Amino acid sequence: MGSHRSGGATLFALSARQVTKRFPGVLANDRVDFDLLPGEVHTLLGENGAGKSTLASVLCGLYKPDEGAVLRNGTQVRLTSPRHGLQNGIAMVHQHFRLVDRFTVAENVVLGHRKLPFRLRANDLEDQVGQVAERFGLPLDPRAVVGELSAGQRQRVEIVKALYHGAEILLLDEPTALLAPPEVEKLFETVRAMTQAGKSVVFVSHKLGEVVDISDRVTVMRDGRVTGSVARGEADTRKLAELMVGRDIDLSPRRSRGEAKGTLLSLSNVGLTKDGVDHIAQVSFDVRAGEIVGVAGVSGNGQRELAEIVAGLIAPTSGEVSINGERVNGVGTRNVRKAGLAYVPEDRLGTGLAPSLSIVDNLVLTRDRGFLVDRKSAHAEAEAFIAQLEIKTPNALTATRKLSGGNSQKVLLAREIFAAGNNSRVLVVCSPTRGLDVGAVEAVHKLLDEARSAGKAILLISEDLDEVLTLADKILVLYRGSVVHEAMGDQVDVEAVGLAMAGLS
Amino acid sequence: MIIGNYRIELEPRLSTPKWLYAAVPALSLLFAFVVGGVFIGLTGHSPIGTLSLLIERGYASTKGITNTLGSATPLICTGLAAAFAFRMNLFNIGEEGQMYLGMIGSAWAGIVLAGHLPGFVAVPMVLLFGALCGALWVLLPAVLRAKLGTSEIVSSLLLNYVALNLVNYFIFGSRGIFRDPTTSFPQGRLIEESARLGSFGTTRTYPTVLIAVALAIGLYWFMKRSNYGYETSVFADSPNTARYAGMSSTKLTLSVLLFSGALAGLAGSMYVVGPAGKVDPGLLQIGLGYAGIVVAALARYNFVAVILTAILFAGLREGGASLQISSNPVPISIAVVLQGSVLLFALGGEVFRRNRLRIRRVQQVSVAS
Ligand SMILES: Nc1ncnc2c1ncn2[C@@H]1O[C@H](COP(=O)(O)OP(=O)(O)OP(=O)(O)O)[C@@H](O)[C@H]1O
Ligand SMILES: [Mg+2]
Repeated sequence: MGSHRSGGATLFALSARQVTKRFPGVLANDRVDFDLLPGEVHTLLGENGAGKSTLASVLCGLYKPDEGAVLRNGTQVRLTSPRHGLQNGIAMVHQHFRLVDRFTVAENVVLGHRKLPFRLRANDLEDQVGQVAERFGLPLDPRAVVGELSAGQRQRVEIVKALYHGAEILLLDEPTALLAPPEVEKLFETVRAMTQAGKSVVFVSHKLGEVVDISDRVTVMRDGRVTGSVARGEADTRKLAELMVGRDIDLSPRRSRGEAKGTLLSLSNVGLTKDGVDHIAQVSFDVRAGEIVGVAGVSGNGQRELAEIVAGLIAPTSGEVSINGERVNGVGTRNVRKAGLAYVPEDRLGTGLAPSLSIVDNLVLTRDRGFLVDRKSAHAEAEAFIAQLEIKTPNALTATRKLSGGNSQKVLLAREIFAAGNNSRVLVVCSPTRGLDVGAVEAVHKLLDEARSAGKAILLISEDLDEVLTLADKILVLYRGSVVHEAMGDQVDVEAVGLAMAGLS
Repeated sequence: MIIGNYRIELEPRLSTPKWLYAAVPALSLLFAFVVGGVFIGLTGHSPIGTLSLLIERGYASTKGITNTLGSATPLICTGLAAAFAFRMNLFNIGEEGQMYLGMIGSAWAGIVLAGHLPGFVAVPMVLLFGALCGALWVLLPAVLRAKLGTSEIVSSLLLNYVALNLVNYFIFGSRGIFRDPTTSFPQGRLIEESARLGSFGTTRTYPTVLIAVALAIGLYWFMKRSNYGYETSVFADSPNTARYAGMSSTKLTLSVLLFSGALAGLAGSMYVVGPAGKVDPGLLQIGLGYAGIVVAALARYNFVAVILTAILFAGLREGGASLQISSNPVPISIAVVLQGSVLLFALGGEVFRRNRLRIRRVQQVSVAS
């Protein structure tokens, strides 16, 4: 095996040699080699399904490789369980957290510790946990109950847990997926503090932008194989994207090419007050045919409420929403749809699609179905979409939960934009590319652009500022339920938008 | 699991080959009979002889199969009731009580309303009344579930005991309209002759079996093809998606539970128009409601398969009971052991239908470093 340094005597903290892991019908890892130096941040980059989580799970002892070996400090270890991995100083923070909601932070952290005294002294534990947290810059209250914490805080609990149990190597599986930008910055500080203390971090991601900032080295995976490994400085996003997807990717801005026409969606002084709190306050804007209005903002500033108001799922407490000139406050989803609205919610699998039902059955979800469901035409339609949008699926009767994120999003967008009998003219789309890889992001952006060209009025609500900047003809910034900044898409002052998102304008 | 150089593991199947759908239940049944045979052996009887006698008396003789079909008739209905609710992730455990109420409702209609009506009106009316009463008996659990989210499992189960006492009260505790006025012996009053159905010839199979089978097939078709079936499957899969698409969870929950109750009530009605002809406390002994839940589970909540599992179960019971009437009686509990092992093996067999057993050599990789 070639080593990355001259002399060839570098001792890697952790390596994978020719690791192969199969799942029924997929080769999740195909003879993967991977090396981690002590004190480095090594990013594992790849599209959805590339095999990153699988490799990380093999490295931490959760999965046993079908073939190949894991080496710790140059000697082979046969990890039998995550606990065994931890005894070897390896810990993983999973994409989906594994915490006990009803326990406190401290209790969760010490959970699974073998050498606990018979009688636990809560105070001592809490102090110890607090110390670990502080040392690595992880603000956390050891007494808080985990069920009440935000995603970012839970992640800190997981990290503190790993460190408390003596982890030298930390595998973070898509740690930024659930975080708001300031939290991401905070996480990066922690990562730096860890490497300064001599620990190594494997950072799993599919977001190109952040990867370049934090990594000392990036290893790119595609379809279960390693396609390249690039050191800091040599890595530019374009090259990484190509390694990831295997072709050139175009994520350059797309703007409306024609003139926007008449107003189709209009909000005037819309407000939502619940229990004396203003979730949405005095929001007014119009969306015209053939344009995309983008709503940017840090998540939790009223985006969700705004979308649900427009989609008719909740009624505003003041103001007026109208579609195509028709007032639609509180008339219910079905009627809002009749008035011409299509809606792509943020939670695609649990809200936009029924996960266990087939693609065909999901296409009829928003149709007028009558007494008997006409699956024949839906089947033909599904097959047309599969071909046209290159949806990767065994067939049209596959359950949508078996599709990757990008492919299920394509099904949802197809239904909401192009499906027969869908005569919507207004489209509300929420975080359409969250969790998707670059290839899928490109495809989704293309679809939205096509819908715009087809004359739809599109309201794009996204926490991903880059996405809004790439697509929107007009940008609004939502902060604490109010629109605090407005700009035209082609003349944005990105800094001003950033400040507005932070509430500093 | 690793044994020697081999790694044995269960691996989820991507798709299930068609033949497995038949092979797994058949094998499960075979295993269940083997286990049952062991128990029979332990009681000192010949396993093969006893089992073949059971099969003959349960299924393979004219008398056996017609008896079986007769007792399968209400069981198909309670099985459909359980399967129907379960398809929407609702657990109606109250089929037993709803069936009693069906019996009471039918008997009332048969005594009070059927008077001068011709059979083709009286019988459907009596059946309808039973179904209505079954539905009413689940109304409270259904409303609690739909409006407040209270678990329907507990509330529907508790009502079983209320229903049981109600039947006992009508027959043993009072001299009301359900009680036979011609004798001081506590028994039910027969409903009007016009509201009853005769059995086929000298058998114990009643025409209601045709209704039960037609219902199963009709439901299968309806839930597969209709908008209502579609909405329930969306709701069962993801309530949020149903809300997104503007479906009303209250309406769906209520209607599904009420219909399930009606099906269970119908089981009681069929007992009345058929063999019993009255409110008969004998029904309390058989547990057809609870058995319906098992029958539905065994059929994996497929309406058409419910027909088969109900016949299977009824046959085990009939055959098992008849074994007692022989020169060398076999305890009736053998039938219960058989039913239990059929269920266990069927559920166990499910694991092999969903997963594939893989045995692989463990590969060793030499490490070059
Ligand atoms: N437990 C499992 N059982 C079956 N298949 C699995 C399992 N885990 C992963 N896979 C499959 O293995 C492949 C690699 O999955 P993996 O989770 O490693 O990808 P990933 O790169 O982490 O993707 P993502 O960005 O979606 O997290 C995928 O095709 C996935 O469907
Ligand atoms: Mg992953």
